[in-house]
Amino acid sequence: MRLPLRNLECLWGEEKLIKIVKRDQPSRAIFFLTPILAIFLTLVAGGLIFYILGFKPFEALKFFFIVPIADNYGLSELLLKATPLCLIAIGLSFCFKSNNWNIGAEGQLTFGAIVSGGVALLFYDQEGFYILPIVILAGAIGGMLYASIPAILKTYFNTNEILVSLMLVYVSKLILDYLVVGPWSNPEGFNFPETRQFSDSARLPLLFEGLRIHAGIYLALAAVVISWFIFYKTFLGFQMKVSGFSLKTAKYAGYKGKKMIILVFLISGACAGLAGVGEITGPIGQLHREVSPDYGFTAIIVAFLGRLHPVGIIFASLVVAITYLGAETAQIFMQIPKYTGQVFQGMILFFLLASDYLLFFKFKFIGSKK
Amino acid sequence: MNTNLKISNVTKIYPGCIANDNVSLEFNSGKIYALLGENGAGKSTLVKILSGVIIPDEGKIYLNENNLQLNSPLDAKKNDIGMVFQHFNLFETLSVFENLIIDSDEQRESLREKIDSIMKKYNFSIDLDIPVLNLSAGQKQKVEIIRCLIRSPKVLIMDEPTSVLTEQETSELFLSLKKFSEEGILIIYITHKLKEVMQLCDEVAVMRRGKLVSVSQIKNENLESLANKMVGQNLKTIKKKKANISSDQLIKITNLNFISEDPFETNLNDINFSVNRGECLGIAGISGNGQSELFQVLSGEILSDKNSIEFNKNYIGDLNPQERREYMVAFSPEDRLEQAAIPQMKIFENVALNNFKSSNFFNNGLINEKKIREHSKKIISDFNVNTDNIDLKSQFLSGGNLQKLIMGRELITSPDLLICFNPTWGLDVGAINYIHETLIKINEKNKSIILISTDTDELLKLSDKISVINKGKLSKIMSADEVTSEKLGVLMGGGEID
Repeated sequence: MRLPLRNLECLWGEEKLIKIVKRDQPSRAIFFLTPILAIFLTLVAGGLIFYILGFKPFEALKFFFIVPIADNYGLSELLLKATPLCLIAIGLSFCFKSNNWNIGAEGQLTFGAIVSGGVALLFYDQEGFYILPIVILAGAIGGMLYASIPAILKTYFNTNEILVSLMLVYVSKLILDYLVVGPWSNPEGFNFPETRQFSDSARLPLLFEGLRIHAGIYLALAAVVISWFIFYKTFLGFQMKVSGFSLKTAKYAGYKGKKMIILVFLISGACAGLAGVGEITGPIGQLHREVSPDYGFTAIIVAFLGRLHPVGIIFASLVVAITYLGAETAQIFMQIPKYTGQVFQGMILFFLLASDYLLFFKFKFIGSKK
Repeated sequence: MNTNLKISNVTKIYPGCIANDNVSLEFNSGKIYALLGENGAGKSTLVKILSGVIIPDEGKIYLNENNLQLNSPLDAKKNDIGMVFQHFNLFETLSVFENLIIDSDEQRESLREKIDSIMKKYNFSIDLDIPVLNLSAGQKQKVEIIRCLIRSPKVLIMDEPTSVLTEQETSELFLSLKKFSEEGILIIYITHKLKEVMQLCDEVAVMRRGKLVSVSQIKNENLESLANKMVGQNLKTIKKKKANISSDQLIKITNLNFISEDPFETNLNDINFSVNRGECLGIAGISGNGQSELFQVLSGEILSDKNSIEFNKNYIGDLNPQERREYMVAFSPEDRLEQAAIPQMKIFENVALNNFKSSNFFNNGLINEKKIREHSKKIISDFNVNTDNIDLKSQFLSGGNLQKLIMGRELITSPDLLICFNPTWGLDVGAINYIHETLIKINEKNKSIILISTDTDELLKLSDKISVINKGKLSKIMSADEVTSEKLGVLMGGGEID
């Protein structure tokens, strides 16, 4: 990694009190500390922004980060938002670990929601224990199908998966738009752009009466455990690790590169699809235009904030989920636009990338030259 | 006006490698200078320092007695130093004209006139208004040259300019360079191609392993003397004892071709050879002549026609490296840190990269860590790797110990054939001796070796038969007894012997 070192070498005039030196090896402790540093810096910068906007910084931060989760309802909402973020980020970490840059999880989520929603609509007037599993499976398959497009194009036509997966996001959103306005719109729905309500048998059960947190959280937790097992205990995980460090080495070791690319995309797509199922069969209960407030994109931040480690991703998804809730509270109590939430998400990623500099370099105090 | 460029005691150190070790050189306009050296000799670092891309740790650069502070490529441009890199820096979708004016603040119209007059003067014919992607490699290079000429440079540096050119384009380039030189532009020409140096240049500076080894007039040199200076010649000739090589053929390569889509790679042209059991075939050559491609074709990283490689009566040309390992072939690539091992992974994880079915590292898709650890411990003790901690990240091993680990990983299963590429590159004397002894022992056990190396001494010491690769073609295969370093020098430089 080449960084513009020379401008930073001399921080205080001629006397060079601080020098930036390359570390002999990336620091393991810093590896896990930088996400915390990034969150801290985000809070500082956020406070500063609130101050400039004319709010009291501490009060504003309290509305943003503490008030929303101060009661049971708030905690339930936190888990509700963290669930899809965690699930998608786990899936994405399969891709990112192995040097595949799938940034179209939002599209895979949407397509998973379309397929599972379509299946749920087939059963809209039926009840039965078998309905929910079919709906869930359909969502996973939908996500996988959609993720297979950039994977196949990458392996057989050498296309760039970043562009393809990103552009497919908009395609899937338009397909959803067409379906809920057109063929799938609720015949008794007064032309609102939404489908019928799913039957109760197609809904994920709620965990607590009166709270919205649903059984989807078990899917996320299962994904955490399974991914941990795959990453650290299986040949597939080992191959992903090797490919992530060096594709040349993977080739030399004789790993089947194409097969792995397709596999990690399928896993990633399945997770995003399941997140889509969780949304429409959990809190929403039908298909409409906005099945996801950009969970698929935000999960990219979650994956990196969690250092692509399953446990790290759990914490990261909780942190990032707060920004969703905080943005809503801040809008209600302080009349700040809810897009502030995205500003915070952006800042987290920005500060994380910036503090990654510390992985490879350290400050060294060398004293005055006099 | 006379231009004088002086490099004074320049040193640049990277972690684990001294790229330029106290290099001092002086150039005067009116001559064409060659900077010659193998890949990794430090010549690219030196010219990057001259063009402001890299800042040296120590040393000064003077242009006409003025000490230059080159902190960025812009500083180099301001000081009339122009540079044409090996990989072009052009925007493919912009027009030629747009590419030419992109870093200039002059008026478009006056620039157009200037460019037209430059093209007329040097007989370049390029349509200024078509996108760069429609140009041939030679034309793209001309665009880069014109971009330098707009600024009327005093110094023009060409980094490996002919690697993507056809013969025709090369001779055109040489004519232009001679013209520039006559007009007083100081030309520094970086290359590892000896013939070009003989053809074009007046003086030659040779670099090896970061050090300047010689500066001389071309008229006092020939292909062979330059080749020897480049790869380093050491007169001690310890040869291994002539082993009893069986007549039992182990591997046979027939009509092997490789045509690369990447213009920076070398095509392999009709390779034929065979190796018997217990024999070591050395392949000599100046780096960049197809060695890397040949290694990859032999290892299976690049697949070829099934029948082109016959190993132990099996045709394995279409098998990947892992499948070839099952036939008891082992590979030790040149690049220890980026290919043969992963520095960020632990020793035992690196051992698991080489995964024979019989070694049972992975059962039903699960990692069998216990097995890998046992195996790693055995490698460490059998091959003298200087650590007893297999949880150590391999980046903490010295180059020699890492190479022992890699050799150990490849050899512990007693393969019938080892294919290795520059196995002692960058190692200290002790490690080199150890590796050499190991390779000799392999032959003594009636196993075979294909040794691709740019180190002539090493080849003369270890090989039973030697061939030279030049521009992707193998010379005839000679018995090691009849080979002298003079003969090798001629062949490496692209010459012919009877």
